[in-house]
Amino acid sequence: MTPLLEASGVSVAFAGIRALVDVSVSVRAGERVGLIGPNGAGKTTLFNCLLGIIRPGAGRVQLNGVDVGEWPVYRRARAGMGRTFQRVELFSDTTVREHLFVAERIRNGTGAFWKDLLGRGRPRPGEIAACDEVLELLGIAELADQPVESLSLGQSRLVEVGRALMTGPQVLLLDEPSSGLDRDETQALAATLRAVQDARGYAVLLVEHDVSLVADFTERTYVLDSGALIAEGPTADVLADPAVRRAYLGSFEVS
Amino acid sequence: MLTYKTSGVFNLAFGAQAYISAAMYFKAHSLWGWPKWAALVVSAFVLAPLLGLVLERLIFRHLRTASAVSKLVIAIGLSVALPELFNQAARFTAVAGRQISGIVPDGAGVFYDPFGVYRFNRDELAMMAVALAASLLLAALFRFTMIGLAMRAVVESPRMTELSGISADRTSAFAWALSSTFAGLAGVLIAPRFNSLIPTEFFTLVVIAVAAAAVGKLVSLPRALLGGLGLGWFIAVFNTFLPRWSGDHTWLRPLQENLTPSLPFVVLFGILVLWRAIGRQTEASDPLAGVDPPPPALAAHQRHPKLTLFTRLFGVCFVTVVGLVVWFRADVLWMHLVTTAVIMSVIYLSVTVITGMAGQISLCQGTFGAIGGFMVFQMADRFDMSVLAAALMGAVAAAAVGAVLSLPVLRLGGVWLAIATLAFAFFFDAVMVKFSWVGGGSTALLTGTRVPRPLLGPIDFASDRAFLVLAVIVLVVVSVVVIQLRDGTIGRTLAALRGSEVAAASIGISAARARIVAFAVSAAIAGLGGALLSMHHQNVNYSVNFGPINALFWLVVVVALGARTVEGAIQGGAAFALFEPLILQGELLAWILRGEDHLPGFFPIAGSWRLVLFGLMAMQFARHPEGLVEYGKRRASARISRWLEAREERQAAVA
Repeated sequence: MTPLLEASGVSVAFAGIRALVDVSVSVRAGERVGLIGPNGAGKTTLFNCLLGIIRPGAGRVQLNGVDVGEWPVYRRARAGMGRTFQRVELFSDTTVREHLFVAERIRNGTGAFWKDLLGRGRPRPGEIAACDEVLELLGIAELADQPVESLSLGQSRLVEVGRALMTGPQVLLLDEPSSGLDRDETQALAATLRAVQDARGYAVLLVEHDVSLVADFTERTYVLDSGALIAEGPTADVLADPAVRRAYLGSFEVS
Repeated sequence: MLTYKTSGVFNLAFGAQAYISAAMYFKAHSLWGWPKWAALVVSAFVLAPLLGLVLERLIFRHLRTASAVSKLVIAIGLSVALPELFNQAARFTAVAGRQISGIVPDGAGVFYDPFGVYRFNRDELAMMAVALAASLLLAALFRFTMIGLAMRAVVESPRMTELSGISADRTSAFAWALSSTFAGLAGVLIAPRFNSLIPTEFFTLVVIAVAAAAVGKLVSLPRALLGGLGLGWFIAVFNTFLPRWSGDHTWLRPLQENLTPSLPFVVLFGILVLWRAIGRQTEASDPLAGVDPPPPALAAHQRHPKLTLFTRLFGVCFVTVVGLVVWFRADVLWMHLVTTAVIMSVIYLSVTVITGMAGQISLCQGTFGAIGGFMVFQMADRFDMSVLAAALMGAVAAAAVGAVLSLPVLRLGGVWLAIATLAFAFFFDAVMVKFSWVGGGSTALLTGTRVPRPLLGPIDFASDRAFLVLAVIVLVVVSVVVIQLRDGTIGRTLAALRGSEVAAASIGISAARARIVAFAVSAAIAGLGGALLSMHHQNVNYSVNFGPINALFWLVVVVALGARTVEGAIQGGAAFALFEPLILQGELLAWILRGEDHLPGFFPIAGSWRLVLFGLMAMQFARHPEGLVEYGKRRASARISRWLEAREERQAAVA
């Protein structure tokens, strides 16, 4: 079976420094995959390669068996790659529901210039219902009419997830969702993420620093260190691997 | 030649500072008969740094953490207001048509020709020497001294600098005094090159200087100096050799005549568009920028529903009353002014689209307006076409130009986009207007670019009253279109892009496509407005209506009053056309006092105070980036909402 998202032999160099060396990762449909590594390991760089923010010097990125290496970010997004951001990126001056609505409109592709001119570009009941359904799923339905500036960091991350869900992703890439959250908030977020994923059935690639979240959430994990893959496999096995522990300098304990 | 990007402000007001010193020098030396050294000291080393300190203290200190775009808007405002303020304060009138004598003895008359190619006169040599010395001095300052390091730090992140125990205020005051001194020196030195002493010459100079600075990517001193010298050399070569060559090869002549004046702008545009590094350069973001509170929401989104109803009713009443008064009472002059206000509102709506909705600063809206105006002129003149059809064609043509222009320009962001559009506006001004298929060529110089009033079936819009109705209809249609777009897919897409470009891409929004649409729509509106304005004046009047400086003026008016709302644009149009006669000449007060004889003695106030007020308006933008109208609305609506709620509570308590 062709993996849903596959990067093979990806290498990236910044001004002579090799950020990624011949890295290959793949995510199958419906799977939860983790990507961990110490600071500066190249996690974010790999993430950016997958999304098309950085063009790798060598290697291929395939989505559903199609080489998307030349595609711009927005085209990959339309083809089924949703994402969230480590530093929350919300559209200022809009409400939570409006956030989801933009994504819904882009996904269903019914926005046309002439429709705007004739006043047919306003949200339709079906679109609003679709947004509210996702908000319900994420448990933030009561925030729908709040401006995004008034949200807490944890709520903002949920809005980002909701926005990504509106694009109908086949694979959702989560960029350090726990950063800036405390332990309780992280656990609540993980529970929501899992519930939503069970309901919607998309695949997840989780880039994370917090090993406990990865242990909780993912089935399979890749470990990056200094731009190279040092381990991959079922999460529990990987986290027990002595080489992985060395890379983290014993900074975590797996219970 | 100028390298003060180190003050962190994209200082278009530099030209104004240079002008003030040059004018001061001229006044002191030529009119008061002071010796040269005294005039130089007063103008460049006393007045200039003082001006820099005042500007820093009053304006830029409060702007340090503002966005680059808002700094740009304020600098534009200053570049218009400062020279006028000086002229008013010092009773100086712009000098035209005479050579200004410089500080170098016989500067323009003695030539040296070291390379056998180009003859340098003494002024030019002195300028180069000063530029070189200044660069060395600045380089040493930045590299070896504490204050130099602090200046660079303040530009990067003022908050971080303060946290590490350096007074950002004192540092930036020093930077401003220094940069202003250089501006003044440059102004005094360069004045003899022009045959006149008027502010616009100096503004053009700034655009050229920006081209030089762009080579240095705004931060590197030596590269900026090299860029300036290289650009100067390039222009000199063209000026020297093209005429010689075109003597032999006649096909070169039109090229020479058209290219030479616009060369700096072409080069600037070329550098910006072709040099990929500039496009990729992200706006330096302050690591502590996150501590700023987010911008407030539009007042209309959060006010009491009763208040909304009341505001609408009031608006309808106000417009009806004004309409009736104008319709039945206005004389020819007032009819003319009100029509101008309506048409300017249409044009300003183009700024609402590009700046308010798309968040991009375009400084070539005047050019789009001119395209609309010229299209009407050409079509009516050559093919005797219906003017209204020609106006629509003008809008389409402007949209096409806007879309094509946006392709290379949109890769650039923020300030660079603004500069590239400014370069385009100057290019159009210097080259395109001269072509007979655009601006009418030499016949237009004699007869003017005549545009007739439209005729639609049995309705003749030749009378002022009928034309006003037409203008109002166009304004209403365009306003509705803008509101529909804002609430529709494209408006929301642009709002998403304004909020976060990466996030917008992550949900499948193509930034390029959305912005091209925004540019084209904005250009079309400007083109339509330009066509209307031409019909109104029955003449295109390019330099009066659509020159590059005008577009700057428009932008500041709209942005200061409120670029996000349709009302902002309409109030901008009204302010543009009606402020001077109504307020400054005291017509309104006279009407209230029943008779012009009762007016206080200081009326009529000179028209150029309008420009000063305009500068003040630009500064207001620093404190209320959402626009004055929007700010006022929010404050008022918050107050009234509180009152209404309190009343409801009281009623509930009674019940």
